[in-house]
Amino acid sequence: MTEAFWFLWPAFLVAVCLVGIHVYFGIQILRRGVIFVDLALAQIAALGATVAFMLGHSVQSAATYGYSLVFTLFAALLLAFTRQWATRLPQEALIGVIYVVAAAAAILLIDRAPQGAEHLKQVLTGNILTSGVKDLAFIVPLYTGVGLVHWLLGRRLSDAGTFVWEFIFYASFGVVVTSSVAIAGVLLVFSFLIMPAAIGVLYATTFSRQLSVGWIAGTVASAAGLVASYFFDLPTGAAMVCAFGFALALAGIAYPFVHGDRRRALSGALLALRWGGSLVLAASALQLMAAPRADQPLLDVAEFAVPSLRNLYFSKAEAVTFADARDYAERYRIEAERLNESEIRNRSQGEALDDYMVRRISSFLKSYGEMRKGEQFVMNEVRARARERVRWIAGPALLVLVLLSAPLSWRQLRWRLPKIR
Amino acid sequence: MLLRSGLIAVWLVWASTGMAQERIPVVTTTSDLRSLVEAVGGDRVAATSLVPANFDAEDYQEKPQDVVRVKSARMVVRVGLDYDLWFDRVLAQAARPEIQRGGAGYVDASYAIAVLEVRGLNVGPGDGHAHGSGNPHYWLDPKNAEIITGNILETLARLDPPNSALYEANRVAFLARLGDKLNEWESKLARVRAVPMVAYHNSWPYFARRFRLEFVGFIEVKPGVPPAPSHLARIIATMKARGVRIVIREPHEPERDVAFVAARAGASVVILGTSVGALLRANDYISMFDANVEALASAAATR
Repeated sequence: MTEAFWFLWPAFLVAVCLVGIHVYFGIQILRRGVIFVDLALAQIAALGATVAFMLGHSVQSAATYGYSLVFTLFAALLLAFTRQWATRLPQEALIGVIYVVAAAAAILLIDRAPQGAEHLKQVLTGNILTSGVKDLAFIVPLYTGVGLVHWLLGRRLSDAGTFVWEFIFYASFGVVVTSSVAIAGVLLVFSFLIMPAAIGVLYATTFSRQLSVGWIAGTVASAAGLVASYFFDLPTGAAMVCAFGFALALAGIAYPFVHGDRRRALSGALLALRWGGSLVLAASALQLMAAPRADQPLLDVAEFAVPSLRNLYFSKAEAVTFADARDYAERYRIEAERLNESEIRNRSQGEALDDYMVRRISSFLKSYGEMRKGEQFVMNEVRARARERVRWIAGPALLVLVLLSAPLSWRQLRWRLPKIR
Repeated sequence: MLLRSGLIAVWLVWASTGMAQERIPVVTTTSDLRSLVEAVGGDRVAATSLVPANFDAEDYQEKPQDVVRVKSARMVVRVGLDYDLWFDRVLAQAARPEIQRGGAGYVDASYAIAVLEVRGLNVGPGDGHAHGSGNPHYWLDPKNAEIITGNILETLARLDPPNSALYEANRVAFLARLGDKLNEWESKLARVRAVPMVAYHNSWPYFARRFRLEFVGFIEVKPGVPPAPSHLARIIATMKARGVRIVIREPHEPERDVAFVAARAGASVVILGTSVGALLRANDYISMFDANVEALASAAATR
């Protein structure tokens, strides 16, 4: 536990800083309705960095940052202009165009540069896990400065106004996004920007309350994502994005319970749950009867969670064959692993194996792989046959269960039947 | 009359040199294979490689010009072992039976290689490779150049029988030079033998086997997926426990993740190239090993 803490706290601090500035911008962006503007700006900044790279500047030099900045400011200028056309053309269209063209132009450029692809990847897919105190020293003053400017200019920036204010808004946003994307990556920055802000807008009306709700939601979701990524062995950025999505979904589900009639919300939720469950059950029953050999997602999940469910429909012989095949498959896997391990150890220790022995080992490994596949085929075949056998019993039984659980009232059915006749 | 015979003589000289210069066009997927083709073919072949040095050859996007190059080639050489799968698309587009799989001019250089780390599909995750047919970085064992050049020689001799003796002599001379170099590299790397190392990607099993080096882990678990924090924590713990002082990265691999691990474990990063041209001084197969061996030996000396 303490180890996890020592490993994660720098990333958590960085996440808190990013949440701090991005929730603010997120609320503004939701208000303006330019959801994907951050992707366009990040891609433009990456294009600028690529140009700098082509001209021979190193990845983390001041010149590279300067090029990114100039490109971003140019994009901000474009975006400020498009506000004027917004009555004729949705601004999102132009944002999409900027994104696509900048991405394509960067690909054309990196094709000519050695290491270009990797460089572009580094600009666009940061890894928040490997960020640290050094990044904080850069972003804390930067974000404080941007925040101060926005606080001083106040309403002039938050309400879409004249060309100059629009330009200042997009330019400062571009500066923030350029730095944050390099730290956390495009996906995570988009999550920081939109999801906590959406929760804030959902639950509060005044700007300061929206901001506080967003900050709390963003911090909690970041912490949850980081911890989950540590304990479930998941890539950090992707785990955090999913944690943000989960938080937003929870907020959405809870909304009718918080605002509005709680009893109605509860009964509505129950109804939806019963309908959903019955539909899934009915679809599984039909799938089982129509195609017993195909994938049965519901049955497969249930059997994965509770393997003893198989005993309900396997005959004794089938159960024995299935268990045998599973044991053999596992044994082959372990044997193959052991062989591989010993070969790997032998590379640096003991008497070196000659090519003949290595060939023998790889032919054994191949055989183990094939045998394991064979056992897996047996397992699938046994299960498919058992399902084929019981489909006319289990399928209708499931359908009866559907009729009992579905929120249909029998009286309604009786009423409708004569009408059909 | 005199003028006429003079002109004929000039034409004959020109035509014969023209014929001598008509070299066999060969296309290889990687720059390493190009270098080996040149070692066997000498000035009788005109070899080009498709993947630029420093690009990830497993993740290459073919271009229209690549199809044009392959179309005009008489011989193609690929790494195989699922390493350059995209080459199948290029071959299909070129649509020339003599260089398709099984054609007279088709060389899968992995033929007859003693393959390491063969795993059937889904056998044990976590070695950083999605290759069911074994680890494909076999050219990083200099001894395997014997087999690779053997495969190249066989096809070249079949396409151009009059020069087969020349190709054979070229190959023997190259292997002799490589043998001397191998002794030199082995003595230079003797010091590194006792030094456990970590690499970003599992590109080094053949290299490790030949030079008796120990890799205790890899930063990238699955290609293209950023490593999970618990995996990094484990790697760093192993590095501390085993006293790992060297982390190996290829030029195209992410700088920051590697630097992060190295800094946490108190190790230094060494940049090695897996292909000819990836490092500054590595402009053919032998100098690629020279550069790698030099970098490793000096890193082990200064730790």
